Parts: sequence; C-alpha cells; structure tokens
Amino acid sequence: MFGYYLRLSWLSIRRNPILSSLMVVAIAVGIGASMTTITVNYAMGSNPIPHKSDSLFAVQVDSWDPNEAYREPNIPPDQLTYLDAMALMENAPATRQVAMTKVFDIIVPEGVEAKPIEALGRATFSDFFSMFDVPFLYGGSWDHSSDNNRQMVIVLSREINEKVFGDKNSVGKFVRVGSHTFKVVGVLGNYQPIPKYYDVTNGPFNDPEDYYIPFNLVTELELSRAGNTNCWKATEDSGFEAFLNSECVWIQFWAELPTTQDQQEYLSFLKNYVESQKEFGRFPRPINNRLNDVMTWMELQNVVDNSAKVMMWLSIMFLMVCLLNTIGLLLTKFTTKAPEIALRRALGASKMTLFIQHSIESALIGMGGGIVGLLLAWLGLKGILSLFGSEVEHVAHLDVSMILFAIGLAVGSAIIAGIYPTWRACNVQPAVQLKTQ
Amino acid sequence: MLLMKNIKKIYRTEVIETHALRDFSLEVAEGEFVSVTGPSGSGKTTFLNIAGLLESSTDGTYQLDGVDVSNLNDNARSQLRNEKIGFIFQSFNLIPDLNLFDNVDVPLRYRAMSATERKERIESALETVGLANRMKHIPSQLSGGQQQRVAIARALAGSPRFLLADEPTGNLDSAMAESVMELLEDINTQGTTIIMVTHDPMLAQRTPRIIDVKDGLVSEIHNHQKPEIINTPEVAITGA
Repeated sequence: MFGYYLRLSWLSIRRNPILSSLMVVAIAVGIGASMTTITVNYAMGSNPIPHKSDSLFAVQVDSWDPNEAYREPNIPPDQLTYLDAMALMENAPATRQVAMTKVFDIIVPEGVEAKPIEALGRATFSDFFSMFDVPFLYGGSWDHSSDNNRQMVIVLSREINEKVFGDKNSVGKFVRVGSHTFKVVGVLGNYQPIPKYYDVTNGPFNDPEDYYIPFNLVTELELSRAGNTNCWKATEDSGFEAFLNSECVWIQFWAELPTTQDQQEYLSFLKNYVESQKEFGRFPRPINNRLNDVMTWMELQNVVDNSAKVMMWLSIMFLMVCLLNTIGLLLTKFTTKAPEIALRRALGASKMTLFIQHSIESALIGMGGGIVGLLLAWLGLKGILSLFGSEVEHVAHLDVSMILFAIGLAVGSAIIAGIYPTWRACNVQPAVQLKTQ
Repeated sequence: MLLMKNIKKIYRTEVIETHALRDFSLEVAEGEFVSVTGPSGSGKTTFLNIAGLLESSTDGTYQLDGVDVSNLNDNARSQLRNEKIGFIFQSFNLIPDLNLFDNVDVPLRYRAMSATERKERIESALETVGLANRMKHIPSQLSGGQQQRVAIARALAGSPRFLLADEPTGNLDSAMAESVMELLEDINTQGTTIIMVTHDPMLAQRTPRIIDVKDGLVSEIHNHQKPEIINTPEVAITGA
C-alpha cells in the first residue's frame, strides 16, 4: 500500500501545484534558516572524541592574583605556568598526561625553487598522539626517551608533508624548521578535530598544527611561541629563564584519567602540590584545583557562543512559524480533497488508512521542503563563511549526518504539521460530501 | 438480508431538530431490485446513507446480512461497506486524475487482494459495462453515461451483495439512462440486490418493488411482481 499511497500523494501534489509549491517553500525557508544555525551549533558543540571524552581532563590550578580571580566566578587560569606543568609532568599520577604549547616558525623545503612556508606547530609530549587518538599516515610518535633527551624529531601534518615531500613517506628524512633541522618520525593522516578541544584557548576552530615537536625543545632552543600568554605579575628578571620561572600561564595541560579513583587520586595530588607550593609563597589564592572533561571544558570555555545559541533558537521558532503556515495550507489543500476522501470512505477506506495516506502526502511535501531547504542552508552557510571568513570554515559546512538530519527534520515537521489537517480531512462526513457533489 | 426496525434519524442544530426518518422499518431480501421514491426531503437519501453505513441512525436497529451494525466501530463499518456494499452516485464521483482502471481499483485497494486478482476483477468489471477498451482513459474523456458505467464497474468489482444507487440516471439523458438501467437490471438478474433511489416514476415502475417514502416514513409499497429469487422472504414493511 505504501507505493499506492506514494503515487496518490504525487498525483495530489501535482493536482494543486501552486498550493503544493507554497507549502514546499514554507518548509524550505524554515528548514534553511534553522539548518544554517543548527549546523553551526552542532559543529561547535559536537563531541570531538566521543569514546573517551569523559576520561580526558583539562587540568586547572589557581596560581593567579590573590586580589582578583582569573575569570569570574572564581575560575582558575585556563593554562599552567611552566613550573607547575613540569612538576605535574614529573610527579602527577595519570595514565597519560601532556603539557603543550603552540609554536611557530618557517619550514624550508628542499630545493632551490621551493618557497619557505610559514608554519604553526605544537610542542608537546609523545603521549599527545595516543591520548588524543591522532592518526598516522606514515611512521608514528617519537618515544619517551626523545622527550627526555630533547631529540630533534618532528611529526608533520599531511598537508606539510605534501608541500615539503610531495606526499611521499618522509619518515627518516630531515626537514629544516627555522634554523634547526629535525628528523621526521611520523606523518599524520587526516586529522581535523572540531572543535580543537585540546587547545580552545588559542582558537577552538583553528586548523590543527602543521608540525609537532618535543615540548622540551621549546626551552632548549628558546623557540618562538605562538599561543596566549597571561601574567598577573611582572617577571622578576628579563630573559627566557626568568620567563620560565614566572607566574605567567601559557601551557595547556591534559591528563588521561579513566576511572573515578584515578581522578580522585589526581585531585588529591594537586591539593598536596598546591599546599606544598604555598610554603614557597606561591598560590596566594585559596585552593581551587579543577579537572574538566572534554565537554565540560568546552562548555566552560564558551566554545559554542551564546549568540549562536540564541540564533539557533530564534531560527527554530521561525521554523515553527513556517510550519503554522504549512498547517494552514494543508488545511486548505485537504479541504479541497474532501469529496475524494468522502468517496474513499464510502468505498471502504477506514479513517486510519486515509490518515496514513495523507500523512505520506505531508511527508512527501516535507521531503521536497527539506531538499530545497538544504539548498537554502548551503547558501546560508556560504553567507556565514563570506561574513566571518576562515574562522568558521570548519563549522560552516553540511556533513552527511546534518543532511540526513535536515531531511528527517523536514519530513518529521511536515508530518506533525499535517496531523491536524489530516485528522480533519479523515473526519469528513461522507454522506454530506457525496450529497453535495 | 437488510432489516431495519424503527429507525430514527434526527439532525439537531442549536435551534432546530429535523426528523429525517421516523420509525422507518423495512426488510429487503437477497436478490431483490427495489426502487425508493418520494419527494425531495422525504428521507430517501438518508435511508440510503444509513443502509450504506455512511451515517448512523439515532435510534432503532439495523441488521445487514445478519449482522447488527448499530454498534460497529469505524473500522468494522468500513470493512462491511468495502466487502458487501457497492455505491452508485448521481454525479458518478469518479476521481478525475485517475484513469478508469485506477478508479475501479479504488475499493479493491482496501482489501488484502493480490495485484493479479485486482487486475482480473477490474478488467472483468470494465468488460461487463462495455468499457474494457478504454481502461487508460481519464473520466473527462468519457460521456456522462460512460462515466456512470465506470462507477457501476467500480461498484461491481468488489462483488458486493448490495448495490445502493442514488439517482443513478439523474444526470443522464434518456438514452443513456435507459442503457444504465438495462445494465442494472442485468446485474440484478445475476443475483445482486439493488436498492435504487429515483425521482423517475418510469424507472421505478421497472423494478419489482417500489417503496414510497414521505416525511421520513414508508408510506406505500407497490409489489408489481415477485422477484425471481428463491427463498425470498415476505415483505414486511411498516410505517409508523
């Protein structure tokens, strides 16, 4: 019967092309507007590492100004000082943990003709790749001894490997970054976490880095850092060593703590650590250590902008208005079909079969609205891209799941919008309708 | 086969009550061809609607084929309509954008019937009314008489026990009316019970029984001849 109903629906849509088109347009406009904002919110707020987001924790300790919280209400700094990050790396009880910062330099490809490439990198520890499930195309991460021995090793992004080595396996080859030469140990596969949760401080929707090097090389080589640095008091001396010993926060710190017990032990360690530091005159504020899992961290960091949320709800309300219009149009359409419905009732159709038939017609109209709405959403996202540029490049696009969601939303909305008109249509009095023919 | 006892039908609005049928009682045996006549507003169509389960009575009992239909739910009434009753309307009521084949197919679609069986029945029904060669035409391509023939084919396709015809020739000229009437007589001869509402006394005279309805009551019954059906019960009509 489904095929029969589908055919009848198509005939009915063709019978009133203007009315049907108006309904498709009403749904399309609502779907287009809502999908544009839902897509942006979805990309901004989606879980970038769902299988382990509740066991990865951004670590916060409150080393900030005694007179003023880093951010109200009493939020500790987003990043750690070098002193604290190194102390935690050495002693804190985590399954895995990494300190990291953003660096930048010029990569110089081989060959006279090749142009230097401005590149952003990440100085981190070897566990970064396994903690965050970073895929490799060639080779792999450096090992712990490379961390400790400050070895000149590098992992390249796929894009940089393409530019420098023409997409060939470059493991074992050497690459110049600034004035230093690194040995390639790995090349990443496609890696584009959205949002870039492990460093929301420096832009949750930025591209992943072009290269990765051992963290300890930052201090060894005094490399140029590209990330945010925040200080609440002046360094005691000038120079890099003084900066490292300062209260400036500039290091992102993550720990992998799979069980509740691991988390309790880690918090306990942080408490003891801060208390011990207080004896040296550090940590002037009350103890305020925090472990935030991935989703909590993104919420805390306002990764999904409030205005984006407001826009999304406004657009959903707009979809409701469009659906109200659709209800009116469906009422008109089904009213014009009353004689046929009455005839079908007389010939043996039950109310339920007619309800199903007309719900399928509503769904078909919804599908048409969904397809046109997707086109409008695509245009809307293009508009957002042209307004905000590359900052929103990774969130302003429709993936397969959002396309399916849009169609589902349109069909579901149309069926819901069609319930009342369909119910009305199925309750026509056949005797009255047939008599008035 | 059809037994109505003391059927009442009252239409109520906020200010007025209209008694369309008052203690209407009637029995129609299997295989009869009955015409129902009466002036406009006498209750003929209301009787036909109740007989066809398109409306419920306000009071009284109605048995169709031995089944008391008074308290049946919508699904059961729909199923009874679909399996036992065929309708023929004055204005044909064909669906304009379906071809003849699909129009005749409509009642069969609401039965669990294979595509092959439906096709056989549709072709046979259209053959009976002489329109087998025009299956792919749409109703607007036919004359009024042909359209009524399609409506008859639609009613016949489901092999109903009953045909309820409401002014089947009302929209046709005399020649077409004659051919439709002949078709109905043929159908009746093959055993289908027919109840036909008509204003046309000439047509009514051609049926074995005429029931006059006036002010919602059966006022007179004419028996021209006994229907040629075995085991026909005595006609027992009472007007209150």
